[in-house]
Amino acid sequence: MSTTVAELAAQVAQAHVSAEPLRVVGGGTWLQAGRSCFGTALRVGEYVGIVDYTPGDLTLTARAGTTLEAIAEATAAHGQWLPLDPEALPGATIGATIATASDGPLAFAMGRVRDQVLGIECVTGTGEVTRAGGRVVKNVAGFDLVRLHTGAWGTLGVITEVSVRLRARPEVDRAFVVASDDRVSLESRLAPLADLLIAPLALELLSGALATALGVHDHMCLLVRLAGNATRVNAQVEALGALGDVKEVPVSVFDALSRLSPAGAMVARVSHMPTHFSATWRHVMDHLSASQCWQPLVRGSIARGVVRVGALFEQDVPVLERFVRGMAPPGAAVAWEMLPDDGWQYVPSSVSDRVSMGLRRALDPAWILNRGLLGESMDAVRV
Amino acid sequence: MNASLQSLTNALTEIVGARWVKSRAAELTAYDSDGLPGYRATPRLVVLPGSRDEVCAVVRLLAERGIPFVPRGAGTGLSGGSLANDAVVIGLNRLTRIHSIDAGNRIAHVEPGVVNASLARAVSPFGLYYAPDPSSQAACTIGGNVAENAGGPHCLKYGVTLNHIAALTVCLPDGELVSFGSSVSEDTGYDLCGLFIGSEGCFGIATDIWVRLLPVPEQVRTLLADFSSVTDAARAVSAIIATGIVPAALEMMDQSTIRAVEASIYAAGYPVDAAAVLLAEVDGLAIGLDDDVRVIEQCCRDAGARNVRIASNDADRARLWQGRKKAFGALGRIAPHLVVQDAVVPRTKLPQILAEIHEIGARYNVNVCNVFHAGDGNLHPNISYDASDPQQSERVHAAMSEIMHACINAGGTITGEHGVGLDKLGYMEDLFSAPSLAAMCSVREVFDPERRANPGKVVPVHSCREWSGSSRH
Ligand SMILES: Cc1cc2nc3c(=O)[nH]c(=O)nc-3n(C[C@H](O)[C@H](O)[C@H](O)COP(=O)(O)OP(=O)(O)OC[C@H]3O[C@@H](n4cnc5c(N)ncnc54)[C@H](O)[C@@H]3O)c2cc1C
Repeated sequence: MSTTVAELAAQVAQAHVSAEPLRVVGGGTWLQAGRSCFGTALRVGEYVGIVDYTPGDLTLTARAGTTLEAIAEATAAHGQWLPLDPEALPGATIGATIATASDGPLAFAMGRVRDQVLGIECVTGTGEVTRAGGRVVKNVAGFDLVRLHTGAWGTLGVITEVSVRLRARPEVDRAFVVASDDRVSLESRLAPLADLLIAPLALELLSGALATALGVHDHMCLLVRLAGNATRVNAQVEALGALGDVKEVPVSVFDALSRLSPAGAMVARVSHMPTHFSATWRHVMDHLSASQCWQPLVRGSIARGVVRVGALFEQDVPVLERFVRGMAPPGAAVAWEMLPDDGWQYVPSSVSDRVSMGLRRALDPAWILNRGLLGESMDAVRV
Repeated sequence: MNASLQSLTNALTEIVGARWVKSRAAELTAYDSDGLPGYRATPRLVVLPGSRDEVCAVVRLLAERGIPFVPRGAGTGLSGGSLANDAVVIGLNRLTRIHSIDAGNRIAHVEPGVVNASLARAVSPFGLYYAPDPSSQAACTIGGNVAENAGGPHCLKYGVTLNHIAALTVCLPDGELVSFGSSVSEDTGYDLCGLFIGSEGCFGIATDIWVRLLPVPEQVRTLLADFSSVTDAARAVSAIIATGIVPAALEMMDQSTIRAVEASIYAAGYPVDAAAVLLAEVDGLAIGLDDDVRVIEQCCRDAGARNVRIASNDADRARLWQGRKKAFGALGRIAPHLVVQDAVVPRTKLPQILAEIHEIGARYNVNVCNVFHAGDGNLHPNISYDASDPQQSERVHAAMSEIMHACINAGGTITGEHGVGLDKLGYMEDLFSAPSLAAMCSVREVFDPERRANPGKVVPVHSCREWSGSSRH
């Protein structure tokens, strides 16, 4: 059982020498971005604890195994929060949140995961303990390895400690469902958004199945989170009326939203330009019904052009290929977070370019960390 | 001119035309310094390509001949990043095209030589703006901003350059063109765009930049609070941040700065007897904005502000900002040279560090003026001096070094937005362990195995040697 950085580093160094693959495990609740990766488990989830938290600085430093709940509890005591809401089950760790950089609805107003990370301590593939960034909110000292490790799924190093930016909790924080006439096209339903004087904390389009699963509505609808001072929030609630019928729901619906993907679901993020949002959404929905995925849990961050799909798919392998390859419309990008093992062969590697492969070789020369994640193929890295 | 230099000149001339290769001593002096006083270096040649293809052709030629190069934007950098000691300077000032502005998706595709302020002007008819606003915005280039990860007063709410770049096309040091990030979707794979931003010209040349734009806020309110002690002003900063209101900007100026500004043509009506003034700005939806203004005003008064003034119209606002934006200019007029320093401390350490800086300045008999991004804890202690006086220079450098160490000891960092360049190289080992620096070197080698791109900057060379020795099995 590893409980210190030195022990974790020693385990990696040993694995480096013997070229033995390691699978980095945080809370163990997480998604997979590649073929189920094999290797001895390196348990970072046991390396827990908040190392530094000075509320006045609005920054916090925690060991990688610290859960998001533990951070939420510590910061709430001072009226603050870490505005990261990845799709995650209870027990998800801060290290994995940053390693996967999977954004939730709050990214709309608060920025993405990469925008919240200030510093990282990380064990490279040779077992060296390195740091980048720091604890302050602005920092350009040295090359930005913080951004490099954020979203690298532990393939360039094992994140052992992170410093993040916190925010003070807004005075008012409320959630609303906005429902409008189903017979009208999505474009015309969303059109009024462009001129609406609102500045929401989050704004998501929910598929009917997702709205039903959340218990907020029985058809496709908008889920909006408004925060700030009371005057501003009240004015925005009124403005929302231009979009349809407005109903207040508990703000905890947003927590439920991040825990909904059913066991065994396939999860993908399809993204394109915001102006293409309706087209992207329609493509995804049509593709899901053509693939006989009924009741898919789909939500869209309209202003960011991202559609997130969680769907159960029970066809055989030949159909699986069509399902995976056809998820994104032409010009859009797709990032798969969960797929059955058979599905990964249809996902092109996102790290096969010259620079990415060079980085992998530089930081993990024996190629031991989380092999197979990010769609990386064995041949590509061995070159 | 020796034969190899002549042959290089000829080959570069073939790519860009004779007019855009500078080799005469008189021409090179324009490129022998940047915004960092007291340092000079003479480039071997200066070449000014006129297109992405010409940039790549130039870089390929230099790669074939094993010649080091330094990318250069406007040369406003304050850490010596574009100084070229016998390297070839690749000036990007001719690359000033704005290829496209996509108002619907709030993104613009620009060349690296586009000046920050001209981008702002070009997008304003669409009701949009580009958020990072370094005080040098009238001159500095978007390419230079990307290379330094530049900030500015409004970064408190909106973030630094990193948070506003969607994608880049980069000419690697061997001349290959690669794309990082995505201008049309989410990025997948490693965040190479984020890694490149702030790489100070060491990872190659950004030839195309896709910047994100923001809608111009519906309304803006600007306040000026004045205090009879710096500590009170710093307390007000903490109180404001703690309310949950994120001001668009929260800037502090101390008495020496106030007096320099008020004695200059940029006089903004700051009270000259105040120990410090705080310039705060909130923006966004008009509704509810006055509530935020009242909260901020109360925070200032509770912390001991003598007076809080709220700008009544745009002209008044512009005047309050003029003093802040031109503060470096005003300070620069006091003496022949001005060191503009840059360091960051945790926000709660502001009162302590300001007192320490004051004490250090007094001990070395130098006049330190502080004008800085208080909301971020990003300090700019500035010293006006005469760099031709060796004794004075010596004292200034010694004082600066102590100030840097005080910031490191307070849990801070040696640069928040100006970069390491040459100036801060010596502090890198105080901040990072040998394995951390070695990891940075190994990442640099992925981009530039021959270390020809802006050599000798950012990471001390000997840190890299140690890495090669100890970690290559
Ligand atoms: C009065 C004054 C006020 C300032 N205020 C601020 C401020 O508020 N905030 C702030 O952050 N900075 C500030 N600066 C510093 C400076 O303006 C910024 O660092 C700016 O980003 C530099 O841009 P430049 O075009 O002048 O780059 P240069 O000085 O020419 O180059 C800077 C670095 O970038 C590299 N580079 C340039 N272009 C490219 C490219 N296309 N691809 C790769 N590398 C490239 C160079 O090699 C060099 O290392 C200020 C400077 C002055 C003089």
